[in-house]
Amino acid sequence: MKIHRTIALVAILGLLPVVGGLAAQETNRDIDVNALLQRIEELEQRVKIMDRKRELGDEAAAEKAKVTPTVSIGAGGLQVRSADSNFVFRFRGYVQADGRFYAEDESPNGNRNDTFLLRRVRPIFEGTVYERFDYRLMLDFPSGATASAANDVYVQDAYLNARILPQFQVQVGKFKEPVGLERLQSGANLLFIERAYPTQLVPNRDVGLQVHGDLAGGLLRYEAGVFNGVANGGSGDNEQYDDEKDFAARLFATPFIKSGNDWLRGLGVGVAGTYGHQDGPLRSFVTPGQQTFFSYTTGTGTNANVAADGKIWRVSPQAYYYKGPFGIFAEYALSSQHVQRTAAGTSVSETLRNTGWAVSASWFVTGEDNSFKAVTPGKPFTFGGEGWGALELTARYAQLNADNDTFPLYANPDTAASKASSWGVGANWHLNRNVKLSLDYEQTEFDGGNTDFLKDGEKVILTRAQFSF
Amino acid sequence: MKLKQLILPLAAIVGGATLTWSAVAKDFKLLNVSYDPTRELYTEYNAAFAKHWKEKTGDTVHIDQSHGGSGKQARSVIDGLSADVVTLALAYDIDAIAEKARLLPADWQKRLPNNSAPYTSTIVFLVRKGNPKGIKDWNDLVKPGVKIIPANPKTSGAARWTYLAAWGYVLKNGGDNAKAQEFVTKFYKNVPVLDTGARGATTTFIQREIGDVLVGWENEAFLALKEYGPEKFEIIVPSVSILAEPPVTVVDKVAKKKGNEAVAKAYLEFLYSEEGQDIAGRHFYRPRSEKAVAKYAGQFTKVSLFTIDELFGGWQNANKTHFADGGTFDQIQRSSR
Repeated sequence: MKIHRTIALVAILGLLPVVGGLAAQETNRDIDVNALLQRIEELEQRVKIMDRKRELGDEAAAEKAKVTPTVSIGAGGLQVRSADSNFVFRFRGYVQADGRFYAEDESPNGNRNDTFLLRRVRPIFEGTVYERFDYRLMLDFPSGATASAANDVYVQDAYLNARILPQFQVQVGKFKEPVGLERLQSGANLLFIERAYPTQLVPNRDVGLQVHGDLAGGLLRYEAGVFNGVANGGSGDNEQYDDEKDFAARLFATPFIKSGNDWLRGLGVGVAGTYGHQDGPLRSFVTPGQQTFFSYTTGTGTNANVAADGKIWRVSPQAYYYKGPFGIFAEYALSSQHVQRTAAGTSVSETLRNTGWAVSASWFVTGEDNSFKAVTPGKPFTFGGEGWGALELTARYAQLNADNDTFPLYANPDTAASKASSWGVGANWHLNRNVKLSLDYEQTEFDGGNTDFLKDGEKVILTRAQFSF
Repeated sequence: MKLKQLILPLAAIVGGATLTWSAVAKDFKLLNVSYDPTRELYTEYNAAFAKHWKEKTGDTVHIDQSHGGSGKQARSVIDGLSADVVTLALAYDIDAIAEKARLLPADWQKRLPNNSAPYTSTIVFLVRKGNPKGIKDWNDLVKPGVKIIPANPKTSGAARWTYLAAWGYVLKNGGDNAKAQEFVTKFYKNVPVLDTGARGATTTFIQREIGDVLVGWENEAFLALKEYGPEKFEIIVPSVSILAEPPVTVVDKVAKKKGNEAVAKAYLEFLYSEEGQDIAGRHFYRPRSEKAVAKYAGQFTKVSLFTIDELFGGWQNANKTHFADGGTFDQIQRSSR
């Protein structure tokens, strides 16, 4: 028993250092684990702090986005929009560099100068304030509009439009009178380089007030306004010649625009007209090559002078139709104007009714959907790439008839034609949304007149390089 | 029919219709733009006032609430948020509305009792259960390794009170402004995240489990304790803190424009009623009325409180010195980077 006890004691004593070592190891491990846990906790805190900072950063960014305006630039120009979309400013515009080349004009008195010119140079500033008030300012710096060597400067559009309701909007300032269909089409989206004859029998831009809107969910558009009144084809900034105001109105329906019928969806028909009083100078009529073929007699003293002097009314039925790449565009205009001829203190007067009409058609060879508005090429042109842009072929026939009663008292039958008939073909190459190259050939024949020009007619090649943004 | 015969019945009809119209109960809609942690207080208070107003006048009043950092809320009102009343964290923010937007008179604070502050509060600490970092007073917050969660004084009223409380602690213990700035600099060096508002800071501390101590509104600390339980958090009341007086006022021009002048005024006056004071106490704001003070005396730990006028010469001075661009807070922030 003693021996056993001794052995046991020795064994215990012998094991003590081992046990002690194990306990020390255990304590060290605890310390290591605690340090590790602390380290993990610290790291966890760091991660949480980083996450929270990112969360707060996102919240701050979202808050900031609520008040930060967005600035964007693209094919549609430069746009700045307030965060709530209530304020918008856009800067865009277009430039048209034209060429006019007259064929077979070598007769001694009929030579016309071929020329390059800047037809339109139009910066546009437009936008919205307080959500429902739209504004637009469009200037123009063209050359050649008045055969002046220098560029002219015009305020083409300057107006404010209050969008009270989609059905009822009020526009005030200077803008296009709501009459001619081709006149109402943007100068950047025309089929031909120059507009057709009906446009010369309706007003251009005028100062006034107009109510307008879309009815029946956009199926019917109406416009009605009171304006200073301008001569046919003319623009005005103030009332210079009479105290009266002109009324203009237009109804245009696109009755099938929301239907599922592909054949009818692109149909638009309308009628427009004006009624008022117009005094003052009358404008000449020009060919597609912008050469004058008809002028009223002008002069002073004993030389006869013809001017507008009384009631004017106009009516213009109009229509377009688009189906896939094909489009057709037709317009008729009748203008009735009371005129007076004064010479040597005596005067006579007459009501003259001039008419004009035009039908044009276009086809996108490259298959784009045709439209009254700008067309975006399916594949914009790229150098060395697959895209060739959009190619549009065009054709047009147009006529202008001066009232037979015009001659000989109000216009010289030797120097003014009584009728002009023009046909033309052309091609528009839309390289992309911003660049368009156009080439037109137009030929015009005249009835009446005794000058070389009127006898020969006009054959003109028109070119245009257009950059819009 | 003679004219007189026609006029009398017409007058009777018009007069009767006018009286009938005026007797018809009206509907009012108020907007109370408030600071971050008053959501729960005004949710209950609005219901109580609507009931009171209905009983008193027969009219229905619906009160919308908007909450956020006090400075940010003031900016929104200046920018056009159509508040009938503002109940913000500090008078300076309402002064800014009076000064910049001119929607109420400059002496707005004299219009209601107690400087237009119907309840008070103070700044306390909320720590995790067991107070692992042993935080007892302000000087424990600036020790290395302590992570403090306050809000940003640039945007939050609570944060400004907090900043001034820390500054005042040094002054109250015999330090000067230089010592106070040194102390507050150390304080913000221990801040890992600055939220824009008091409620955001609470979220950071409680839900995101960041930091060792939340420094902010006393009522917010009580609310956290009530919601999450004393098994998770403890409130530590420091030896000294600041008397925070969140003020209220009618935004005269907006209330007038909306035809809400009378009801807006009554809405704020009701805060001083026994019922209003009781609701404030129930939501851990220190009430003003003797009855409510007595009722909730056991709820609040006694603490030595100093006022902003006493140590900082009022809000205008405090703001100019500490919180304006280039002030001491900006200097502290720069030195902390």
